[in-house]
Amino acid sequence: MKKIFLASVLLAALGAAYLAVPRCSCAAVMLLDDKLRVKGSLYEFGMYMTKLTDEDKQYNNNNIGLMRTKGTLELLYNAIENEKCNANLFGFFQYWHESSSDFDGAIKNSMTSRARHHYQGPYERADDWINELYTDVYYGPWNIRAGKQIVFWSEVEMVRTIDRINPLDLRYTTPGIDPFDEMKLGLWMLRGFYTSDLPGQIVFEGIWTPDFQRVRTPYEGTAIGSNPAPPVVMGKQAGRILPYGQNAAIDAMFRRDQPSFRLNNTTFAFRVKGTSDLPGNYTLDWTLSWYHGMNTTPVAKRSTLGTPATLNLDTDTLNGYLNNLALSRVFGAQDLPGLNHKSFWEYKYFDALGFSGQSFIPWLKGVLRGELSYELGVPENTAFIKEIDKAPSYSKVITGTTERDQINVGITFDRPIRWDWLQNQTWLASSGILDTTIGWYAQRRQGNVTHIRRTFAYYERSQTNWTVTVRANMWHSELFPVVRFLYNAQNWGYGVAALRYQPGAHMRYELGYTWFFARNPWDAAEAYCENKDFAYFRIGYEF
Amino acid sequence: MKKNAAILPFLIAVALCCSLPCRAAEVTFPTPSYGGAELAKVKEWEKTWVGKKVTTENVDQVKEFLHEAVYKAMKDPSIFGAKSLWFDIVPYRPYDVSKGLIDATKKYAPAGKLDEKENLVGYGDVAGYPFPQPKTGIEMAWNFDSNTRGDSSYLFHGGTVVDCRTGHEREAGHLRWELSWLGRYDVPPIPRMPNSENTRDIARSFFQRHTAPADFVDTTMLEIRYKDNREEDLWVYTAMFRRVRRYATSQRTDTIDGTDMIYDDQEGWYTHPTRNTYTAKGRAELLVARHQDPKNVQRDHGQGFWNGFQRERVNNWVVEVINKDKDYIYSKQIWYLDPETWQMNFKVVYNRQGELWKMYEITYNEQPSYGGGKTSIPSAEHIVDFIRRHGSPGNRDIKGVGINIPLKQFTTRALQEKSY
Repeated sequence: MKKIFLASVLLAALGAAYLAVPRCSCAAVMLLDDKLRVKGSLYEFGMYMTKLTDEDKQYNNNNIGLMRTKGTLELLYNAIENEKCNANLFGFFQYWHESSSDFDGAIKNSMTSRARHHYQGPYERADDWINELYTDVYYGPWNIRAGKQIVFWSEVEMVRTIDRINPLDLRYTTPGIDPFDEMKLGLWMLRGFYTSDLPGQIVFEGIWTPDFQRVRTPYEGTAIGSNPAPPVVMGKQAGRILPYGQNAAIDAMFRRDQPSFRLNNTTFAFRVKGTSDLPGNYTLDWTLSWYHGMNTTPVAKRSTLGTPATLNLDTDTLNGYLNNLALSRVFGAQDLPGLNHKSFWEYKYFDALGFSGQSFIPWLKGVLRGELSYELGVPENTAFIKEIDKAPSYSKVITGTTERDQINVGITFDRPIRWDWLQNQTWLASSGILDTTIGWYAQRRQGNVTHIRRTFAYYERSQTNWTVTVRANMWHSELFPVVRFLYNAQNWGYGVAALRYQPGAHMRYELGYTWFFARNPWDAAEAYCENKDFAYFRIGYEF
Repeated sequence: MKKNAAILPFLIAVALCCSLPCRAAEVTFPTPSYGGAELAKVKEWEKTWVGKKVTTENVDQVKEFLHEAVYKAMKDPSIFGAKSLWFDIVPYRPYDVSKGLIDATKKYAPAGKLDEKENLVGYGDVAGYPFPQPKTGIEMAWNFDSNTRGDSSYLFHGGTVVDCRTGHEREAGHLRWELSWLGRYDVPPIPRMPNSENTRDIARSFFQRHTAPADFVDTTMLEIRYKDNREEDLWVYTAMFRRVRRYATSQRTDTIDGTDMIYDDQEGWYTHPTRNTYTAKGRAELLVARHQDPKNVQRDHGQGFWNGFQRERVNNWVVEVINKDKDYIYSKQIWYLDPETWQMNFKVVYNRQGELWKMYEITYNEQPSYGGGKTSIPSAEHIVDFIRRHGSPGNRDIKGVGINIPLKQFTTRALQEKSY
């Protein structure tokens, strides 16, 4: 046994040594007479939580919050290529394993075995291992893409306004640490482009998908999720930590009640894209879009909502089930109530009109980008106003559902700034350019907000965020220091400082630190992370 | 008979007088580097040197024909991570300039002149070299700018970023399509694309798709330079983020993916000529590689400077170049321009402290071009940083010169097509 262990350690050490030595070779492997291109990566990503409170330590035996090994494989096959037609087949496959619960019993005990299984690998949906898989056919002005895809419609960074086709997987990190493209969930769809001969290089794009994925929020009991409910206070199990708190129950219900892959769950989206010359020698890239689809977060189903009262313990109703679950935990029931066959949540349709534009502004020597999204009929849960129900936002009972309009705006300005001092430091071998982006984002909720039930930003009509990103390069672009910061007018926000090192063709290293702050943790999901500061590392091999 | 005899000389005299303006404006082109006695002297020198390999050991013997920067590298190869540096000497061969270029230069150069802002009068509606016998630095710069390298090209450009102190290397590569929309002299329509196809007054454009490093594969750039002096437009499709984004061309002084080259350095100088002031500094006979087979260049791992250049003697034009932006990254550049094609054979740049910073040596080779002609086009290069001991050797696989590239290639829509 000892020999096997030693051999394993030796193999692991050899493997690590092999990966740690930078080598040079081609970027991608070409096979089958250059018809098949193979690319891929292997990454290890770890988070060390630096601000665990005494309460948090009940659910963590050590400070390692996340340890994820992820491998990706990209295949591009050129099936047809002639003057009239070109057809490619593209596949992006992924596999990961998150191992913190393998070596931390407290994390393991904070999750149900089913939730842990979904969390640890690509098992939430059967096709999670396929990030993208589609055929891409070009015929004259037409381009048709059929299969599982990820779509990018956004111009700005860090905050999403019009980029809503694919929902996000937020279970492992937050935007700003992982780029959006690694957090998006692929959808099976048919996507078509028509490149017109109209002035302005106008391109029409249409998307149709019968597929649906809900947004994946951090699991209860994981690094950036909420803690499970406090230990049992009464009965034989007093003092024990039981998984399946309120948030885990809600997540399980969201998952169970999500729409299946069906024609009547169809989402449509259209976009027109063009480039126009404006007076003053400005060239504006613009898009206009319309989206008709289901919100990725559901609202309560009225028929099974139940009486909004704490005495309602009927597990056939949503309010009753949640009350029953909470009381069962407090009193140490032998078995927590399971979900029955009743559907409690529904994912409802809404529409969104979007506009985006970007242009280089010569007199500012930078690029201005902007996005505007007007969302019509966004489904919302309702609750009693504060004067009637004094419960905090996270425990307010749901009284019904309604719809509200919402406006989102995002503007960023990118400007490369030359820093002479940096450029003159020969030993740093920097170009002296700081790629700087400042951003302003705002949201306004139309109509009455006092009757809307929201866990975060309850009663808030508007939100305003400012962001700044500064990125430099050193050692001939082998080393990239990056600082990102987001500040919300409600006095919450977060900052990320990172160093990315890419010494050769394949190896990639990154070290960073993320810091959250908040005046009130219930102002936003990010604000709720106020005690979840962490240092992280990422080591990877790209081929 | 006597009357007729008197009329004839009179008519001849009138004819000669009428032809005076044309004769005055007549241009001489092509303009070989050497002729007559000078050529004979070069041929005499070549009897000793052609076919010889010049190394660190015998470089002193040809020192007078090497730029100080090349000599410095040759004498101390360790600066650029080499055990030894060497090159071959080949005979001087004048370029076989295309008929289109000769015709265009002869047609338009007689009227070649600059306005008060040093812009070329008629830019866009003329082609060829506007000043085959230049008198000033700015005229030489316009000649350099008028070289369209066969009007269009498609090539693979591979390169390596080398830290010569540590031996670390990083591969980079891209496919590049380039098109001149104005000032065309080889590929119809000449001298410009019709206005109906060039409503935005584009002067030239390139479309570049990256093939390496791995996390850069499919990242694609489109840059458009306009006829007037406005800023270029640059779009980048970043594969990592799957987005087409506008970039600030004020980023032109940033290095390209860790190489020693800034965006302005491409092909020697890749933006509008009027952004600099130029001073002619006479001629310099240097050994430069104008007929370089890219397969002959070689180097060891960790070496940032090519071996195997096939150098020939050329009497280059020398121009001192200072950017009009007082905060520009380079305090000064010295360009060495080819007297036959006005391509940049060599340049050195100085930092803002006035120290020799970088040397950019471009090798060329003649390629079959449109209509059976030939065009000199870059075949390999190295740009080396003397202060940071860093180098970026690269070479090119030319896939076509003087070819027809669909104009749709140079649209933002094309950036995202066939990229994954």
